[in-house]
Amino acid sequence: MTAVVAHAGDVRRPVRFRRLIIPAFAVAYIALAPAASFITYSIFHLTRGTRLALAVEFFTFETPKVLMLLTAVVFIVGILRSYFTPERARQLLAGRREFSGNVVAALFGVATPFCSCSAVPLFIGFVTAGVPLGVTLSFLISAPMVNEVALALLLVMFGWKVALLYLATGLVIAILSGWIIGRLKLENHVEEWVWKIPASAALESATPSWPDRLAGGRAAVREIVGKVWPYVVVGIAVGSAIHGYVPTDFLARFMGREVWWAVPLAVLLGVPMYANAAGVTPVVQALLGKGAALGTVLAFMMAVVGLSLPETIILRKVLRPVLIGVFVGVVATGILIVGYLFNAVL
Amino acid sequence: MQKIEILGPGCARCKETYRVVRHVVEDAGINIEVVKEESIERMMALGLMATPGIAIDGKVVLNGRIPKAEEVPALLGVV
Repeated sequence: MTAVVAHAGDVRRPVRFRRLIIPAFAVAYIALAPAASFITYSIFHLTRGTRLALAVEFFTFETPKVLMLLTAVVFIVGILRSYFTPERARQLLAGRREFSGNVVAALFGVATPFCSCSAVPLFIGFVTAGVPLGVTLSFLISAPMVNEVALALLLVMFGWKVALLYLATGLVIAILSGWIIGRLKLENHVEEWVWKIPASAALESATPSWPDRLAGGRAAVREIVGKVWPYVVVGIAVGSAIHGYVPTDFLARFMGREVWWAVPLAVLLGVPMYANAAGVTPVVQALLGKGAALGTVLAFMMAVVGLSLPETIILRKVLRPVLIGVFVGVVATGILIVGYLFNAVL
Repeated sequence: MQKIEILGPGCARCKETYRVVRHVVEDAGINIEVVKEESIERMMALGLMATPGIAIDGKVVLNGRIPKAEEVPALLGVV
């Protein structure tokens, strides 16, 4: 049935036009830097080297660049994601041993499409099918924290090393936190009604065809980029202001690596804050440029993206307060350690 | 076909799905009940783990994303 749908969508856009998308994208991308300086100096007539000119050029260059690359990455990830479904994850995880289960769960969390409103049905679907509590939580930690928007933006703005570092440490936090919670045997702190729900049969679904997968990529772009672009623009605007107006190394005093309390403060500030990766990354980039330490800003970003008040409120439906407290505490401690580690090593 | 259920805990994406489906059904002049179902128990009974979801007569036909208006008739099997 879905195959029919994808073709129906294809008919509207002529194939000839589609072939031009990739070359047009590349040309536009190459033209971004000259276009930004043209706008800044020829249209706005700003004087070179002034703070305002710096901020405007930064904004006019970064905004289209980040949005274009984000679109490309989300499209590719949208296609890749058609290979991973919650059903498949559950099938793979049910009855698995704890440690290896945590590893697989965290990896699947990165790849599986996830929206925080799905957290409750997903949680119940997993635990009632016999996926251990700690393994389920590994999935629920890695899914929002190491998501494709965060990774795409880190890749675009900081390069592959930082993106990889974030991916690896996010996975380690998800694996170890889930494993620790599993060891603590907190199953009795899951709301009782959850255990009374009978395990449901898995949804049967046909393997998607290539047009389906491409349609999935386009749908991801529409849904994700369509939703996050205002945050990206605002984030870059804030980042541009920091870039133009805050003196270099100004932040080293507050957020530098010698400041021992910067990491806990970043985590404390980040946890209740609810913003998505799209808004945070440009700000983080600007902070980093002004002398903030990488460990501190990454800890901040992980805390903002990975642990949020709305998500804990949603999870409260299935987890009792003690378990919620342990969950937040263990993950926050993990983020803290990552922050200190980076500040010490890099 | 007797009943279309839109499943989700009440987040923005579920409301959007409900809106899209309602719109298509009304435009097509199909006389059928579209229900917004927010109970977790119902989602579990249907085996749904990723919301939003659409179920027709108790069978899930879409899950984990918002449908496009153009694809809804095919999902409902009324093309």
